[in-house]
Amino acid sequence: MEGAAGVIPSAEMKDHSCRPDRVTQPTQQGSVAGRAGAGSVIGVPRAIFYYTHPHLWETFLSGLDLPVVVSAPSTEVTVRTAARISEAEHCLPNKLFDAHLHELGPAVDRVLVPRILSTVRGHIACPKLAALPDAARVLLAGQRASVLSLEVDENRRPLLDSLADLGLELGAPPDQARAAAEGAIAAMTAAETRATDAAGESAGQRPVLILGHPYTLGDRYIAGPILGKLKRMNVPLQVMSFSRSTVRESFVKWDTSAKMYHQLLEVSPAGWAGVVQITSFNCGCDSMMIELFRSVARDRGVPYMVVMVDEHTAQGGLETRIEAFVDTTAERLARSPRPAAAGW
Amino acid sequence: MQALAPVELPRYLLTGPLPERQAGDSVDQRPLVAIPNLGNYSIAFTSVAEALGVRAWAATRTTPEAMKLGLEAAPESACLPFKAYLGLFIQAARAGVKYAVMVNSVGTCRLRYYRGLFQQVLDEMGFDMYVFGLGYDGLKPPLVRYFDPRPWPFLKWVGRAAVKMAVVDDIELAAWRTRPLELEPGATSRVMSQCLRELDQSASKRATQSLRADVPRRFAAIPVDPERRPFRVGLVGEVSVLRDRYLNHDLEDLLGRLGVEVRNFFLLGAELGNIFNLGTRNPNSRKRLMEVARPYLGAEVGGHAVESVAHTIRCAEQGWDGVVHVCPSGCMPEVSIRPLLRKISADLDIPVLPLSFDEHTSHVGVTTRLEAFVDVLRDRRRKDCQ
Repeated sequence: MEGAAGVIPSAEMKDHSCRPDRVTQPTQQGSVAGRAGAGSVIGVPRAIFYYTHPHLWETFLSGLDLPVVVSAPSTEVTVRTAARISEAEHCLPNKLFDAHLHELGPAVDRVLVPRILSTVRGHIACPKLAALPDAARVLLAGQRASVLSLEVDENRRPLLDSLADLGLELGAPPDQARAAAEGAIAAMTAAETRATDAAGESAGQRPVLILGHPYTLGDRYIAGPILGKLKRMNVPLQVMSFSRSTVRESFVKWDTSAKMYHQLLEVSPAGWAGVVQITSFNCGCDSMMIELFRSVARDRGVPYMVVMVDEHTAQGGLETRIEAFVDTTAERLARSPRPAAAGW
Repeated sequence: MQALAPVELPRYLLTGPLPERQAGDSVDQRPLVAIPNLGNYSIAFTSVAEALGVRAWAATRTTPEAMKLGLEAAPESACLPFKAYLGLFIQAARAGVKYAVMVNSVGTCRLRYYRGLFQQVLDEMGFDMYVFGLGYDGLKPPLVRYFDPRPWPFLKWVGRAAVKMAVVDDIELAAWRTRPLELEPGATSRVMSQCLRELDQSASKRATQSLRADVPRRFAAIPVDPERRPFRVGLVGEVSVLRDRYLNHDLEDLLGRLGVEVRNFFLLGAELGNIFNLGTRNPNSRKRLMEVARPYLGAEVGGHAVESVAHTIRCAEQGWDGVVHVCPSGCMPEVSIRPLLRKISADLDIPVLPLSFDEHTSHVGVTTRLEAFVDVLRDRRRKDCQ
């Protein structure tokens, strides 16, 4: 993906195209596939949970020897489809999810739509994700594909167990189900760690911290132009880490918002040139959190900008704002030289 | 900070600005506490304030002035109730009110963060106002600890508040039934206003109970046309928009005048019972409603999403004419279930009108859509008769 400096998990993922001829074949001619119905292809929409759990779903389903199709990355066409079929008041990631689902509907037998209630213990997910499988059923009514779902609630059951249960439900023997679940979680953790390592590479110059939900930063259509512009201006970027270990208990209960909050608390003018938060129009979590983040950034003395993206966002407006922000950070740099000691 | 800035009174402002001190007057020195408005239930909340030994600053509907203040101060994309409540608090703070109350620490939606963000905005604006949260942290929430009322008067006033809440429910139910039948438009609303005003002023339990006994007679005295067959429509959705007649553009009134008997599914007395799951046979307990909603909704989304889905299904099963689903624009739980309501509408053959409200919603727009909706209901009834 352009400009993401290889730090977003999705950027380096295998390109599973939605076209039936690009279906990834199971590594072994699976007995599971036979049990689940020969040629039973499972689709994974490239939206929301594809980014909150990078590599997890495809690795897991491949581990069960089931053919997987991931919908193609969002484009202008996806956005147009979303505008046509989705609920007008949804946030952009949710609209894009609907469009990806729509794309998979005629191409696969089942679409995986997990019900995400919590991805980090002690926290809750955005409430919109709780109704996602139900909304998907409505959207796919009358189409070839049906909805395959599982509940992801780290407060009630670890992800490993939930995945293993899904494996059993899909007809895999217990050993294979558990192995596939373990493999998938390992792949996800590796992807998250890799992202963090890559992010730490911009040594020398103070980087700009990029905040946002994984499905906002990961989606090429939403974050691509912004990250690309910053990259073209030679601004060192560090995309926030989505590693589950960064989250501590606090009053911020939404899981990704908590990740953003705790990373923002670590930011200091000595180490960072600024913070850019990428958000989408009608994002409920961000609408409350941005005021909090703004006050934290102000207390820390770090420039902070929010870029809101919706389906009408014009490139020209984006460029001007980003250039102005980068000018601000450069000016601050000129005015106050970097303190010798890190910290504040 | 400006003290006692002139503040225009809302229609039913229950406690006005601090009274002018006159020579020889004994001024009520009890502290004022701003309470977010929940429609007519604000009347009951003032009794709870009395229980705490404080006076309530509350209104039964948002005023345009409060809305304006809220819009100026709130984050642009915050939801509508946040802006309305914030406006009320700023209005109160400008008049010298030092305390406010807000529910917090519960739920999955933005409501959880209202209190913190109110406090931040009020602090940044330089107001000396503390917003109490009503979280569960032991027997005595911080608000009660702080004002520390004596136990007996406290319980007495809480008892009165409960009775007042029940009377508000009675008045609402009677108004919903009578309005579509009234011969003179506006007669029901007048009786309702009078009852609410008296309820607000009734200081003793006995006065409240005698008012309660009188409510059915007063509504029965309104001249009606018994021949009319009103449409029956359920109102479901987000609480503050369901309840605040400013935010919902007098939805109940508009529908009533169009010949619709509404049933607003948020009745506070019943709601408290649902939350604490009182009564083993409560048909509206969370658990029961979840069972009803299950075929369409597999998890509690938060807010009143389960209620919206379950009551829509029930309305369809019980042969109601339609359902109006209201919420603030972009409401996280309610918007996420809109596709399900569409499906229920198609599957169970019941018209569902989704209405979203924000500060730009035009009254004419709401009226037009409601008229069109009632036309649909009329058309369906005519076809059924043929």
